[in-house]
Amino acid sequence: MKVGLFVTCLVDLIRPGIGFAALKLLEGARCEVVVPQAQTCCGQPGYNSGGRDIAKALARKVLAEFRDCDYVVAPSGSCSGQMKVATVHDLFKDEPDLPEFERLAAKWHELSDFLVNVLKVEKVPGKYAGTITYHDSCAGLRELGLKMQPRYLLQMAGAKIAEMDGAEVCCGFGGTFSIKLGDISTRMCENKCESVRASGAGAIVGGDLGCLLNIEGRLRRTGDKATKVLHFAQVIAGEERA
Amino acid sequence: MSARENILARIRQAQGRPGAAPGEAELASVREEIARHEIGPLPPFAHAPDRLAQFLGECERLGTTHARVASEADVPKEVARYLGSQGLDRRVAGWHEFAGLDWAAAGVAFEDRPAAKDDATGLTGCFCAIAETGTVLLLSAPDQPKVTALLPETHLCVVRASRLLDTMEESFALLRAEVGEPPRAVFYVSGPSRTADIEQTIVIGAHGPYRVHAIVVP
Amino acid sequence: MQLQSMFFKQRATEKLGDELLQGNMRKAKGKFVDGRAKAVAEFGVWEEARTHAAKVRDRALANLDAYLVEFERKATARGAVVHWAETAEDACRIIVDIAARNGVRKITKSKSMVSEEVNLNEAFEAAGMQVVETDLGEYILQLAHEPPSHIVAPAVHKSKEQVADLFVAAHGKPRLTEIPAMTREAREALREHFLTADMGVSGSNFIIAETGTTLTVTNEGNADMVTTLPRIHCVITGIEKVIGTLEDFASLIRLLPRSAIGQTIANYHTLTTGPKMPGDVDGPEQMHVVLVDAGRTKLLGGAMQEMLRCIRCGACMNHCPVYQNVGGHAYGWVYPGPMGSILTPVYVGLENARDLPNAATFCGACAVACPVKIPLPDLMRKLREQQFDRKLRPWPERVVIAAWGFAVTRPALYALLSRIGARVANWMGGRDGLIHALPGIDGWTKGRDMPAPAGRTFRDLYRQKESGRP
Repeated sequence: MKVGLFVTCLVDLIRPGIGFAALKLLEGARCEVVVPQAQTCCGQPGYNSGGRDIAKALARKVLAEFRDCDYVVAPSGSCSGQMKVATVHDLFKDEPDLPEFERLAAKWHELSDFLVNVLKVEKVPGKYAGTITYHDSCAGLRELGLKMQPRYLLQMAGAKIAEMDGAEVCCGFGGTFSIKLGDISTRMCENKCESVRASGAGAIVGGDLGCLLNIEGRLRRTGDKATKVLHFAQVIAGEERA
Repeated sequence: MSARENILARIRQAQGRPGAAPGEAELASVREEIARHEIGPLPPFAHAPDRLAQFLGECERLGTTHARVASEADVPKEVARYLGSQGLDRRVAGWHEFAGLDWAAAGVAFEDRPAAKDDATGLTGCFCAIAETGTVLLLSAPDQPKVTALLPETHLCVVRASRLLDTMEESFALLRAEVGEPPRAVFYVSGPSRTADIEQTIVIGAHGPYRVHAIVVP
Repeated sequence: MQLQSMFFKQRATEKLGDELLQGNMRKAKGKFVDGRAKAVAEFGVWEEARTHAAKVRDRALANLDAYLVEFERKATARGAVVHWAETAEDACRIIVDIAARNGVRKITKSKSMVSEEVNLNEAFEAAGMQVVETDLGEYILQLAHEPPSHIVAPAVHKSKEQVADLFVAAHGKPRLTEIPAMTREAREALREHFLTADMGVSGSNFIIAETGTTLTVTNEGNADMVTTLPRIHCVITGIEKVIGTLEDFASLIRLLPRSAIGQTIANYHTLTTGPKMPGDVDGPEQMHVVLVDAGRTKLLGGAMQEMLRCIRCGACMNHCPVYQNVGGHAYGWVYPGPMGSILTPVYVGLENARDLPNAATFCGACAVACPVKIPLPDLMRKLREQQFDRKLRPWPERVVIAAWGFAVTRPALYALLSRIGARVANWMGGRDGLIHALPGIDGWTKGRDMPAPAGRTFRDLYRQKESGRP
């Protein structure tokens, strides 16, 4: 079973460790993993900025790069939402290559969903001895129904989960929103950080690097050097490096 | 071209329909859609097993107090009791249909006229009541002034249990069957008036009544 | 109301620093969000009801002209006079004319958002007439000379101390401190106006084609005073408000108060059909219905038509984290929050409200809460597409997107740039791995550090790893 790993532009550029964690998890579950080298981005930043043409061009590029895979897996709810929902329901709705995108959407999985619902893993390599709180990124939650999957995996790694109030409230990242309307974004992020602190957990874990960078950036700026900010892949793969 | 013609034409153009105004066939099709009176999904409590209990339970949620009496003849006594319990004058402006009850024996001054701005208490009946929501329905009519339910601080409403329905949809069916076209005002009242416009703090008694008391007769 | 939608970004920043507003918004959020959640949980068939509600709204919108003509026919048969207004100015002219022809000096009003759109109060005042808002929240704002900041709870941004001060100035009575007493004082002040008004103006939550009926939904009972007591009743409504049947109203009204504030039913639902009937002892002698377009037809027939399903419940803004943090005034016009981010640009021009479609992270909380399933984030994105095509964003943004688009479609170039970028940014992060300032992204770095990249890209590291394999 050939699994294509879509690392995402943020992981590629900023936290490659998350990509390696994903790789370890997939190979550990006996997948033959390929990483198309030409991959860059799913196109969401262009899509959400109103640039339909660039969004379509990038979607087609991704389609071509992953055509030969049985599955495509990404450690991100928002990129997965872009390739599973935005393509089929909007960008290619009236295009001749719609059937190809429907096929791609059907074989595309966000990482936690793939591990739980396709590979049906029963154990994970990582061991985490602390209490974490989980941030439900918006696209993963509302477009893809991700909620139970990452938590299930984290509990397999032994993590205790202290749910925070407002786990499902947007952290304020929103891609370019975080820069264009930075003051509002910062306030939304601060609200999220308050929830994290109130949970009493030593780490905040999530499934989307954009959200995690946002939250970590605010925690550190407000003097919190202690709270760990981790992608669930890192926790369950036993790799908490950057 | 008039504004009406312009607007209709613009609608049709935007939606890809030829011509400047809807034709007879289109209007007939709309009337057919309307005539189906399609009812949407109803929540489970819309058809409660004990309709009266559902009604009274919703009244309580809304702040409508209630009392049951054996017959309409007992209404004046209940009115006297209620007003006494609230420290209110035993004086009501009421709908004509209750004028013939024995108010004198109960010591209540009943005035058969629409409520005016200084009336403290108004007494009305209702066309029907709705169990799902604890609502009473009043229809405007020559001897059923709406102001009697609206102006006074206290609204007493005689509710006939035989006219208690499950849902608002059933009240429409009853209205069509018994009255036909709706009268000028079809007034659904659910509890005393309220507002939360200052700091989202609920205050009972805004512009309508402070108190609604339902007197349930068979 | 003066249009201020072009100042969203600055006003949002100001509002973030407004402690009083922040406290009021926090309180309101708890009530609205928790209230709705509880009501939805108790309802049982909520999702089915939403689907039906969307269908009900779409049914009339799909044949809007025929539904409006049918409404007009039935309403006219009952003695109402139906007027059509293409623009805001037309609507004001028609209504002020009605008032002038009938010697109207005082008007009482129940809440109507479309009347705010068209600036009706200003038109009355310019004609020398006195207009009194009677919804308590709107009354407070009228005293404060402020626009509403929420479509259901217009004075949500005001504290009771602020209200007490306004009442002292307006009523001349001793200053009150308790909310029930203030409410009673407002009741007494407005009661006089109710009884002496010549004309009542109401909005209409929906208009019903089956019977030619307009209707109001309130908790206060003010709309009933406004529509029953004066000798002239005038309804102002958007053309998109038409629905087919009384049953359609029942379906929608189960969802509206629950979505708005978690209430199962509003205290007063009043369906009004025509003026006083022969024999009636109360009711107006004349009834007018003014059907207003004012930009609604612009939304018809395309991807944006679903916006016209809106039943003005306010659930979207209640659940929107952006609105929760900045309040309604930042949006600068009648409609705040997600629905405002769509309607304002469409009705006043995208060039006058550039930041509104961008005032969202597309988190989707609004779409989940909308009782008629309007795909609000998708509609905001459509407006962003219009901005993109019309080059309405600032040129630095456009340059960056263009440059990004150029690089990201060219893997070799992208690999080179990202390799350089990762290394440079890693260096900038210094020992603590955090970048504290970076020109171009000060929207981020003003309030947050940027965690620095690891230094090598995943693809580089992977290729290196793979090339070392047998």
